[in-house]
Amino acid sequence: MKPDRLKHSFLDRLRLKETWVIFFILGIIMFNYPFLHIFNKNIAIFYFPLLFIYIFGGWSFSILVIYLFTKSIHTGSDNKARDEEP
Amino acid sequence: MISLSTLIILILLYVSLHFLIAAYAYKRFRSGRSIVSNSFVYSLSITVYCTSWTYYGSVGRAATSGLDFITIYLGPSLIAFTWWFILRKIIRISKDNNITSIADFLSSRYSKSQFLGAVITLIAVLGIIPYIALQLKAVSTTFAIICNHPSFDISPALRDSFAFRNPGLFFALFISVFGILFGARTLATQVRHEGLVAAIAFESIVKLFAFMAVGIYVTYFLFDGFQDIFTRMGTEHPVLYKQLTTLSENGEPGYANWATNLFLAMGSVMLLPRQFQIMVIENSNEAHIKDAMWRFPAYLFAINIFVLPIAFAGILLSGGNTGADYFVLTIPMNTGHYWLALLAFLGGFSAAAGMVIAESVATSTMILNHLMIPLVLRLKITESFPALLLNLKRMSIFFVVFLGYGYFHIIGDTFMLVNIGLISFSAAAQLAPSLIGALYWKRGNAAGAIVGILGGFVVWFYTLLLPSFIKSGWITSDLLDTGLFGLSILKPTELFGLTGLGMWSNSLFWSMLFNISGYLLFSILLEHTESGREQSQKFTEAFSNDQRQDLWETKRLSKPVTIIEFVNLMVNFIGEKEAHDAISEYLAEHEIDERGMVSEFELPSLKRFVEKTIAGSVGSAAAKAIVENYLSGVGSQMESFYDAFKSVRSSLEESREALYVRLKSSEIMNRSNDIQLIIKELADLLSSEFRFDLITLRLIEPDGSLSLCYEKSLLPGAYSQKQSIRPEEDFYLDEMLLSRRPQFANDTRSLKKQSNSAATQLETFSAFAHIPIVGDEEPLGVLSVYSVSIMGMFTEELLNLLTSLAGQLALAVKLVDEREAREKEMRAKDAALLRNAAVTHEMEIAKQIQMSLLPEAPPLLQGVQIASLSIAADHVGGDYYDFFVTDDRIIDTVIADVSGHNVGAALIMVETRSVLRAQINTSNSPGIVLANLNSLLMSDLSRAELFISMFYIKYDTFTQWLTYSSAGHNTPVLYRISDAQCMTLDAEGMILGVKSDVIFEDKSILLDPGDILLLYTDGLTETADSEGNMYGIERLSMILSTIHDEPLQSIIDTIYREVINFAGGVAIADDISIVALRVEHSFFDQED
Repeated sequence: MKPDRLKHSFLDRLRLKETWVIFFILGIIMFNYPFLHIFNKNIAIFYFPLLFIYIFGGWSFSILVIYLFTKSIHTGSDNKARDEEP
Repeated sequence: MISLSTLIILILLYVSLHFLIAAYAYKRFRSGRSIVSNSFVYSLSITVYCTSWTYYGSVGRAATSGLDFITIYLGPSLIAFTWWFILRKIIRISKDNNITSIADFLSSRYSKSQFLGAVITLIAVLGIIPYIALQLKAVSTTFAIICNHPSFDISPALRDSFAFRNPGLFFALFISVFGILFGARTLATQVRHEGLVAAIAFESIVKLFAFMAVGIYVTYFLFDGFQDIFTRMGTEHPVLYKQLTTLSENGEPGYANWATNLFLAMGSVMLLPRQFQIMVIENSNEAHIKDAMWRFPAYLFAINIFVLPIAFAGILLSGGNTGADYFVLTIPMNTGHYWLALLAFLGGFSAAAGMVIAESVATSTMILNHLMIPLVLRLKITESFPALLLNLKRMSIFFVVFLGYGYFHIIGDTFMLVNIGLISFSAAAQLAPSLIGALYWKRGNAAGAIVGILGGFVVWFYTLLLPSFIKSGWITSDLLDTGLFGLSILKPTELFGLTGLGMWSNSLFWSMLFNISGYLLFSILLEHTESGREQSQKFTEAFSNDQRQDLWETKRLSKPVTIIEFVNLMVNFIGEKEAHDAISEYLAEHEIDERGMVSEFELPSLKRFVEKTIAGSVGSAAAKAIVENYLSGVGSQMESFYDAFKSVRSSLEESREALYVRLKSSEIMNRSNDIQLIIKELADLLSSEFRFDLITLRLIEPDGSLSLCYEKSLLPGAYSQKQSIRPEEDFYLDEMLLSRRPQFANDTRSLKKQSNSAATQLETFSAFAHIPIVGDEEPLGVLSVYSVSIMGMFTEELLNLLTSLAGQLALAVKLVDEREAREKEMRAKDAALLRNAAVTHEMEIAKQIQMSLLPEAPPLLQGVQIASLSIAADHVGGDYYDFFVTDDRIIDTVIADVSGHNVGAALIMVETRSVLRAQINTSNSPGIVLANLNSLLMSDLSRAELFISMFYIKYDTFTQWLTYSSAGHNTPVLYRISDAQCMTLDAEGMILGVKSDVIFEDKSILLDPGDILLLYTDGLTETADSEGNMYGIERLSMILSTIHDEPLQSIIDTIYREVINFAGGVAIADDISIVALRVEHSFFDQED
């Protein structure tokens, strides 16, 4: 019951246009200086280069986020649902 | 081991497969069972983004400059976050406006500027042609790599043949034919090309599959997984490994370069002509965006996982990064896996083919719509126009592909070709500010877009394209080292002294600076044109105005164009069948008026529809030019309605002026009851607000004719018009009365019906309108307004306002009528009340007079007992009784009833009483007294038209003789004690006042003590019960007989009560007077 409600309220937040914009900007920030600088080191983690891990890890995470976003869109009623958001 | 024939057959098979798939998809599409219209195919087709440049080039870049290749894929993945808003909005707008390309989209948004469309097309061609050349080169090179491999079985003669040295030519041919077949079937570009999309989606599967296959083979078969490759790379090439796995550029971390690439990739996935074609034009359902948003990035992710391993493996196997661009192909080749190499080749082939097909179709549309059609229109070719356009379009596909081929041949293997991908991206990025502004900034206008794009384009050309040419050795110049005019500040790659950014970032920064600032500055400085404002609204409010329609048209066609004429125009551009389909679709949703025409107010909307339909074939800017050319050809043009309402208004609201007029008019209507005054003030208001030169009001007469009721003329000199006219004589008046809708003409020159007998000489005026005044369903009259000079003044809004005023006027007329009727009624009522009050007052007086006439108490007299009672009804009564005693023994009693109940009657009674009293002292008999009275009162009574009934008795208490006489009075009742019953007394005699000289009979009767004589007026016996039965003498006699023993007063009271009871609640209509006498023992009897 509780996880279900959590999931629903999470999906509800995702429906907000603002959330999309935030994630878009967050993505651009995370994949640019200075964040890149943190990981721009010649270090290997489990034999993988650190930057490689960061980029591919971040990339797959962003795809997951978009996937969740698209699940929150109810085609047909999306506009209405968005308008009704407080 | 692969033989040439195997390779050729394989390639031919693969090419045929393209045609088969495309043909099948097209067939399914035509039969309505699309295999393309789903989010899966949509997502796959978007990956046309991955060209051979990325297919081969990613590994090349990964092997030479490292991880920054990933930006080309990371950017699109990030921008996908915005698709649900931005891409969906672009698609919505494009579908609504029949947009054909990115150039069309922007030119349509910015005032349908043909110039802007042409500029964008030129930029696209300049930026795209080298890119297409790159694809051809990739196919040629990879073909050569396979064929030149030592193990490849081919004769040296064949190897040197022309065909063999030019595989790119065949590739270009294949693409052109395919593009023409599946990308230019019809002119209508807004129709999706499902065959083409199916082939591209198929290619996307192949390229992913091929790349993954090579990646898995290299990573897990040649090496022992990622870990193995990375570890070996780290140990065998530590310096290169460090350089490739971190971001660096000339020893500095290349963050600026990274950000630039990221931005360019974000922009290009939306802005490249082929991306726009596939994502927007070929989109069949907005909902598909939803899945594409994550599937597309996932695809990019998948195709990039093995890029770094393949690059490292190539370096490890070959010992360096030379030829890294084709590692994908050479690694399987060199390790003996020819079939895998072939698969890799087909993957690269697919990547190239998909890109060139989509790009050539998209670019050719742009060339056709924005470069060729404006020229063709200028040549004024009208014959077989659709065929010409279609052929032009096919030719331009061919043209675009072979331009790329020529470019590839001329320039060859140079620096230019290597970097052309990013150069293209930079060119596409110049459209970004205008596109974002197009969607979200209403103020962004055509001037801003043109200046911005041109400015960015010039900077792009100077800082990127020119240096590329120079570096390729195509142009020999020392420009790069010394700068323009020897000014180092103008060095293209370090513009304005900006060093350390690198070529890409330098170009992007300066081009965007000029682009964005030009766009903003000119948009802010200059105002929209009218059509620009309209388009801007349409684009920026694409989601909010679904239901909204402009309330008022602000434009009109100066000369009406018929539906047929419009259809013929469309036939020229989209073909006959399509034109008729389109128009029937339009007419199904629109009203046609009583004459089978669209109304004047519908015409602009029809014109827009025609324009939009044609735009589907030739783009919006050309469509606008075509329709306008056509209109001017037939002598018509779009012109503004004269804006009767001066203030700028949003289309949804009434203007301030209209509201003001409404307010004023309602004030006028409420202020006065005088309909003439209302009409005059209303006419003044209309003429001052709208400058009508003539305002007339005609009312419908009972005979059906229209008579002039009011006229306000500002015309110089007296203007005469008919005072009365039959509606049949004036076509427009008649029409208006029949339809009860306003009839108007915005330009009297284009009137079809002219009649000389019209109410006014219409030739005098430019525009006029007849507005019916309709009250309660019935037309009451007509309000006519005329303008001498202003054509096109009657907008729908103005007519609505006038109609509403006419309605108010009808209401006012009705209200005034009603008010007058009500007032009349009120006055009548007041008068009646007043009259009543006077009457009541008079009656009060009469009543008082009458009451004062009656004796206060009956006289006391020996030998007779007397009692009396008089009850007046509601109003004054005419009853009268009196007693006169003479000589203490004789009593005269009179009871009378005057007809009429007013003061006159009362006064007559006064007179009667006086005359009577004068008669008393004489010893005249009752008959003589009555006769005297009659003759004395005769003249007065007859003048007052009154009559008196009277009963007169004279009783001698000594002799007990009763003498009586009657003037038509009710017969008194006499109770005889001896008979123990009642009798009535009657005597001959006529009512007083009828005629003179009447003889009244005297009668006498001897009474006994105990006898009771009851005199009364008709009010007593004529009192009726609820059923209308009168009380009558019978009942009176009966009750008198019963109660004759009782005291005299109580007898009277009892009788009265009985009568009231008898009436049973019914109001007593007349006065009741009773006088009773009881005979007692006479004086002599006592003495006896």
